[in-house]
Amino acid sequence: MKTGYHALVKRLLDGELTLAELPPELRAEGEEALRLVGAADRAPVALSPALDERVMATVRRHAGDARANRVWRWLNTPRDVELRLRVRPWTVWAGGLAAAAALALLLGRAAPAPQPGPGTQARAGTRDSVLVRFVLYAPGARRVAVAGTFNQWDRSIAPLVPAGTSGVWTTTLALPVGQHQYAFVVDGARWIVDPAAPAVDDGFGRRNSVVAVSAPGGHTL
Amino acid sequence: MGALLGFEGEATDAEVVRAVLAGDVERYAVLVRRYRDRYARYASRMLGSRDVAEDAVQDALVRAFDRLADCREPDKFAGWLFLILRNRCYAERRQRQRQERPLDSTDELFAAPDRPDGEYEQVERAHALEQALQHLTPEQREVFVLKHTEGLAYEEIAGVTGATVASLKMRMHRAYDRLRELMKEHL
Repeated sequence: MKTGYHALVKRLLDGELTLAELPPELRAEGEEALRLVGAADRAPVALSPALDERVMATVRRHAGDARANRVWRWLNTPRDVELRLRVRPWTVWAGGLAAAAALALLLGRAAPAPQPGPGTQARAGTRDSVLVRFVLYAPGARRVAVAGTFNQWDRSIAPLVPAGTSGVWTTTLALPVGQHQYAFVVDGARWIVDPAAPAVDDGFGRRNSVVAVSAPGGHTL
Repeated sequence: MGALLGFEGEATDAEVVRAVLAGDVERYAVLVRRYRDRYARYASRMLGSRDVAEDAVQDALVRAFDRLADCREPDKFAGWLFLILRNRCYAERRQRQRQERPLDSTDELFAAPDRPDGEYEQVERAHALEQALQHLTPEQREVFVLKHTEGLAYEEIAGVTGATVASLKMRMHRAYDRLRELMKEHL
């Protein structure tokens, strides 16, 4: 027996030829080859019925952990705190005079008059979302959108708009602080990475662009 | 390996994925039921053991849940899950090779039932083929399994594996030659 099959027999196995189309001298080899691939077991393989519950138990646990992590991150993320006091001027004067009188009483000498102020503003912490501008040069495109981990990869939520007729598409989104993966979707079907941003393998043979949004200031891509 | 519709309340894969991402974790059970057995045969043939395949399918389903937010196209969840399972099968083979624990326990796949005596020869040949598959390279074994067990065309295999049709045919033709050599006692 020869080691390998004739090229025509391989085409038979690939479904490109029928047995009748083989030259007569190759038909016996063809029949043998068909017995080989015919031995492939196509019967379904049944897994344990308990698999579903094992998966769901793990999934519920992971979902609980993820929720706890989100709450923990929310509690630990610095945020803007804006405090506004709305007062009438006479209350400032009256309060100031009362404070001065109390101080004079305590120290036994006159206190300086307080300066009136229109209000008080206190800012603390850092912002938790930042405006990020996405730009893509796609001159032939009819539609462009950006989809990523920040919008559950939904192609319909964040369309870009053309900037004139130059082929440049742009949009600005408010993204939470953190690292996000994304890609542009051209004409609703073609996924392309951002040529102006770093990219990572998504683990399934495709590339995603990455933007890291830090608390102070913004990113322009 | 496109989206499978028509049962589980007619919910599409994309609808279920979005519901899960919105917080309805229990809906994930729909996808578990939909795909667990569908990919079991591929994993079993790739790994040569139903038990190891079951672990691989379970891990793939959990990993898909953990990374569901990265699923760019929820309507193509089936193909995305397949890639996760495929990576898992390749990783399992590599790990076994490193640990020098071969995956050759194909007996359990054929622990079947009483078959009529007339089919004994076919059963033996099928068993021999399962064992022979474990001696192919993972890439050769995969293309054989996807074409001759799962019934996919070369173009469909190219779609799920990312390889070109020409390279798939080359792998397959080498697999035919190798299998002929390994199976010569049974043909």
